[in-house]
Amino acid sequence: MQSSSSPALRIAGLTKTYRLGLTGRVTRQALHPLDLEVRRGEIFGYLGPNGSGKTTTLKVLMGLVRADTGTVEVLGLPLADPAWRRRAGYLPEHPYFYDYLTPAEYLGYAGRLLGLEAGLIAARSDELLRLVGLSDSRDVPMRRFSKGMVQRLGLAQALLNDPEIVFLDEPMSGLDPIGRHMVRNIILGLRERGKTVFFSTHILPDAETLCDRLALLRAGRLLKVGRLDEILSIDISHFEVLCSGGGAAAREAAAGAGAGAAREIGERWRVEIDESALPALVAAVTAAGARVLGVQPVRESLEEYFFREMGGDTARDPWTLGD
Amino acid sequence: MDAGRLSRIAAVAANTHREAVRERVLYNLVFFAIVMILSGLLLGQLSIRQDEKIIKDIGLAAMDVFGTLIGVFLGVSLMSKEIERRSLYPLLAKPLSREEFLAGKFLGLSFTLFVNVSVMAAGLYATLLATGRGADPALLKAVLPIYQGLVLVVAIAVLFSTVTSSALAAVGTVCVVVAGRYSDVVRNMRDVVPDAPTWLIEGLYYAMPNFRNFDFKNRVVYGDPVGWNDIGFVTVYWLLYLALTLGAAAAAFRSRDFH
Repeated sequence: MQSSSSPALRIAGLTKTYRLGLTGRVTRQALHPLDLEVRRGEIFGYLGPNGSGKTTTLKVLMGLVRADTGTVEVLGLPLADPAWRRRAGYLPEHPYFYDYLTPAEYLGYAGRLLGLEAGLIAARSDELLRLVGLSDSRDVPMRRFSKGMVQRLGLAQALLNDPEIVFLDEPMSGLDPIGRHMVRNIILGLRERGKTVFFSTHILPDAETLCDRLALLRAGRLLKVGRLDEILSIDISHFEVLCSGGGAAAREAAAGAGAGAAREIGERWRVEIDESALPALVAAVTAAGARVLGVQPVRESLEEYFFREMGGDTARDPWTLGD
Repeated sequence: MDAGRLSRIAAVAANTHREAVRERVLYNLVFFAIVMILSGLLLGQLSIRQDEKIIKDIGLAAMDVFGTLIGVFLGVSLMSKEIERRSLYPLLAKPLSREEFLAGKFLGLSFTLFVNVSVMAAGLYATLLATGRGADPALLKAVLPIYQGLVLVVAIAVLFSTVTSSALAAVGTVCVVVAGRYSDVVRNMRDVVPDAPTWLIEGLYYAMPNFRNFDFKNRVVYGDPVGWNDIGFVTVYWLLYLALTLGAAAAAFRSRDFH
């Protein structure tokens, strides 16, 4: 049943195993039972290293790949119901649009498939081409486009029907800093208008800046879902202590209390220390004549967290021989 | 069928035709025109009745050969490109079913072939008129089955393209078309392989579309009357094979994962 109180996306028990070769004996489980819920109006980041199952998930949602098991609801409607597709947009990873078409022609084609009126298609095309910075190229065949321009058009076609939910697979891929800034603003603008954005990325600073919530995927398994501060809060592992004065004796006292090597910043110096050794360090450096200017808890960045959690997994060969 | 579905199929068909035109696929018509002009000029020396038959014969044969080549090329390349270059990904994410996409693609390809055959037929008539011969309407009784055969070639190319790569699809389509044009060889396989089981030979013979059924060229050129019942029989045969081929293509396309 369709309801505006239902989540924008609900995934339950989704699995997918790819089979290769004529016999299908070589298998790879791309998705282990996956459960996920995306709320309406939020920007949801879907993170994971290559081969973790991000694109497979999106392809299942878009009907490009058939899941083995599980159920999916988009905007309160079952995946098989085509009605939600009129209210959704999708930008695939590394999109390709027809070389022989111009952006205006492609958007006209996409609009007809969405069942939009000709007048609305023309108005939305103008608006979106302006938004993605392709107004001057609206009648240029796409065979002359750079990768970044194709990506921009991909975003425009994903927004043609003013969708309630947008699925973006690596939306920053191939874009220069100006293009990335533009996409970030578009995504934030969509949230301001109450739209839901589900995007996969491996550009962590983008996820850190944009996402209300995010999910971390590893080898087809969901590692963590939540707000950024929820995911990272457990990982405050050390403190930075900023000091001045005290000379070599204070620095030696800090080392004696268990701090790492001091880093000099002009007349000040900084050391890193575990929480358990913090009181002893403060006492030791103060006794040695230094002034403690500040104590800063250091929260792990998403990037550091990502590499710590994923690093060992990225090199693993995901293909195995099946039974 | 609801209007939305028709509109989506028409949109895919129109884009397919536009691709064929813009990718200069119809340049083959230039070659056809050259063949027709040269044949008209060279055969102008022959006796009145003889050269008319030769012009018709060459014109229809060129239409068949060029059409088949273009049918294989179009059917394989325009379908495979959608899959291999992933241009169909954003399309299938829209309210467009795989069956609608396939139907649109097939109709667009068939319309492109229709334009091809129409222009070639017009070229043949123009050559006949320009060299002082009459525009024989009976020629159309050979042209229509040629077109039907070409549409079947496209359907076979589309079927192969839904299940395999463009290179293998082209090889598979050419094999079926050649086997279908020489289906008697399949039936007479027993002469070469006496131990081959009858069911296998008969099965192969009937599984392959017999493209000779669409060949009325000699009968039309040499004035052998072709009745509408003959055309009707061929049309039923054509529709049957089209339904089977496209049904198989739809089943394969529906179950395919794009990864």
